[in-house]
Amino acid sequence: MLLSDLNVGDKAQVTGLHAERAVRRRILDMGLIAGTRFKVLRVAPLGDPVEIVFKGVHVTLRKNEAAGIEVEKTGEAGDRKPMGREGRKRWFGR
Amino acid sequence: MIQGHEIRVALAGNPNCGKSSLFNALTGSHQRVGNFSGVTIEKHEGFVDYGKYRIRFVDLPGTYSLTAYSPEELVARHYLIEDPPDVVVNVVEGPNIERNLLLTLQLMEMEVDLLVALNMFDEVEAEGIEIDVKQLQRLLGCHIIPTSAKKKQGLRSLLDHVVRVYEGDIEIKKNKLAFRQELEHAVDAITGMLDDEPELGKYNRRWLAIKLLENDKEVYNVVRQYPVWVKTELALQQIMQETGTLYKTDPETGITEDRYAFIRGAMQECVRHPREKKQSLTDYIDSVVLNRVLGLPIFLFIVWLIFHMTFTLGTPLMDGLDSLFGLLSVSVSPLLPNETLRSLLVDGIIAGVGGVLVFLPNILLLFLGLSFLEASGYMARAAFVVDKVMHRFGLHGKSFIPMITGFGCSIPAIMATRTLKSPSDRLATIMIIPFMSCGAKLPVYVLLAGAFFTPAAAANVMFGIYLFGIVVGLLTALAMKKTVLKSDSEPFVMELPPYRWPTFRSVIVQAMRKALMYLKKAGTIILLAVLLIWAFSNYPKNPELDEVLDRRIAEIEMTVTDQGQKEQAITEAENTISSEQLEYSIAGRAGKILEPVIRPLGFDWRIGVALVTGLAAKEVVVSTMGTIYSLGEADETSTELKSILKSDPGFDQATALSLMVFVLLYIPCVAAVGVMRKELGQWKAVAYYGAYALAVAWIFSFLTFRLAQMLV
Repeated sequence: MLLSDLNVGDKAQVTGLHAERAVRRRILDMGLIAGTRFKVLRVAPLGDPVEIVFKGVHVTLRKNEAAGIEVEKTGEAGDRKPMGREGRKRWFGR
Repeated sequence: MIQGHEIRVALAGNPNCGKSSLFNALTGSHQRVGNFSGVTIEKHEGFVDYGKYRIRFVDLPGTYSLTAYSPEELVARHYLIEDPPDVVVNVVEGPNIERNLLLTLQLMEMEVDLLVALNMFDEVEAEGIEIDVKQLQRLLGCHIIPTSAKKKQGLRSLLDHVVRVYEGDIEIKKNKLAFRQELEHAVDAITGMLDDEPELGKYNRRWLAIKLLENDKEVYNVVRQYPVWVKTELALQQIMQETGTLYKTDPETGITEDRYAFIRGAMQECVRHPREKKQSLTDYIDSVVLNRVLGLPIFLFIVWLIFHMTFTLGTPLMDGLDSLFGLLSVSVSPLLPNETLRSLLVDGIIAGVGGVLVFLPNILLLFLGLSFLEASGYMARAAFVVDKVMHRFGLHGKSFIPMITGFGCSIPAIMATRTLKSPSDRLATIMIIPFMSCGAKLPVYVLLAGAFFTPAAAANVMFGIYLFGIVVGLLTALAMKKTVLKSDSEPFVMELPPYRWPTFRSVIVQAMRKALMYLKKAGTIILLAVLLIWAFSNYPKNPELDEVLDRRIAEIEMTVTDQGQKEQAITEAENTISSEQLEYSIAGRAGKILEPVIRPLGFDWRIGVALVTGLAAKEVVVSTMGTIYSLGEADETSTELKSILKSDPGFDQATALSLMVFVLLYIPCVAAVGVMRKELGQWKAVAYYGAYALAVAWIFSFLTFRLAQMLV
């Protein structure tokens, strides 16, 4: 599944990047690497770009750029599933 | 302070990490703005005297990484390598420490003498985030100093640490981040090869090896110059192939993932976020401001608000300055007995410079608004809101900011396009910027709209003309992207920073800088141009006209008895003669040659003169009209110019609108053309642009004039 296929409110995890180099570098700089869990927060008033949020960082990308990010959907709007800050479990488990 | 006790410090950090605020808080008023050599990226330098040292700070451009993908990153990197500072202070945005540490790790890889300023620490505490600074220090191997630029906390401690690092009192561990095994082997192998090349001395070998694996074009070009490249290239190719087939990833992604893996580990050990994350203010504001229904109207409203603030607040200040210059002219006139000298000073210099200075309040107010939007974080949202439109016209949401800057001055705006990485985006943005209503066109609009429309209508006319420039610009971009520029545009992967209330000082400083830039232009180019125009419009002298005037005055003295009527008649005679003298001068002749071409637009030869001299700088259109319409008068202010224009039978609302459109669209000022030439790299493109701009200006002015004549 691709990030561009997600709807507003969906939660997902990055599984791979297929974007072209410059776009991929920017995605990496933002911290959107394999394993990152994020939520699709909103789309712009005109329908593009989209805004996603992860680890308190808000990042925007165009839909055609989002199509270069492979994801696995983990939840959707209203399911009350936590997006999960990675490592929280381990922190409290120690 | 003893000479020679200087410490050079570079500030590095992400965009929006509060680096500039920290720089301001540290250096106070001891600041200087320049450029990094070879590029037009601003270089802010400043110093502070601390103990026996003078600590000099350089504020590097804000970057997320130190790769070769953007000019800012290259500049930051070059500075650290070519001109190594004594200490590098990495400013980290405390609440967003995780993502910020990516840059920290890359600085560590360069093995610079590093200190970390954990900035916005007040926000960290307010949000309830716990950071184990001691443990993080151990992991990074460098000292971490909690700071808050806003509350001016931790600044002394930071300076103290800088001095201690300089004196060798603090040991910087220069920890090495170990990558996954196969990458580590590759880095080691290449580092070993590079070690054989003594010429690469100033570069850290391990850093070069990492960059080569990251496919860094710049570093490739450096290493390629040395014999060691032959075997390095072979080894690199082999590694790339292996990682590609074995691990389904390229080294660049792998290296970044490993950096994040280290950061994640460090986060787990040292940072604890509050369990319940309450809805932040930013989330709340964005749910309104970026709302699907409200987002666009709010955006348009904010832009509209800024312009209304500029004009309603600016007008009284403007009038004040205006009368001040009028007073100056009146009081200076009697001091100069020589008529030529008096005319030069009063009609040339005071009138010209005054006519320019008078618009300073408007420009200052406009930039106060824009700086506030920038510093508060709304600008990024604006890019998000408008990207789809901009992208549809072949531009990037980020083109919007240079475009907006174009409302102040085309010169910094054209330079600001350097943040756009794709050359085709840049070219398209540069081409549309001159169609934006820059600060220098504002005087022309204010004069004409003020003279021919009621205050309420004038504001709408000006809003309309600003909007019209945007439309013409966007259509131009679209036409270019469909014809000459077909390549891809830049990614829109960017951060929406949390909203922050900008410090009063930083907003003021930004606006003052812009105003200063305008003034510098006013002081040099404009004054020169005004003097030139004064000469053009006064010479050559027609001696016969003086005789005619003398004869007429003598006639009036004889025939008219009433004192008031006599004075009025003399003034009228003088005005006729000065207008005839102007017609006889170089400027008059040039205007007359142009008249047949601009007649269909509603312009006479006098406007022709103003348009020609306006090429020096658009605001000169106003001062030229001032000089042309009021030669021979001692008191020359724009309020008077307005009434003179209004009483001119050849000048009505249609002419005013047509002239505003022409000034909006035709060739930008010489300074902008120069910058354009520099950014485009060739005169040919500039020449094409000039021809295009003239054609567009003529056509739209013609349409405006005819349409307005029918409607008004």
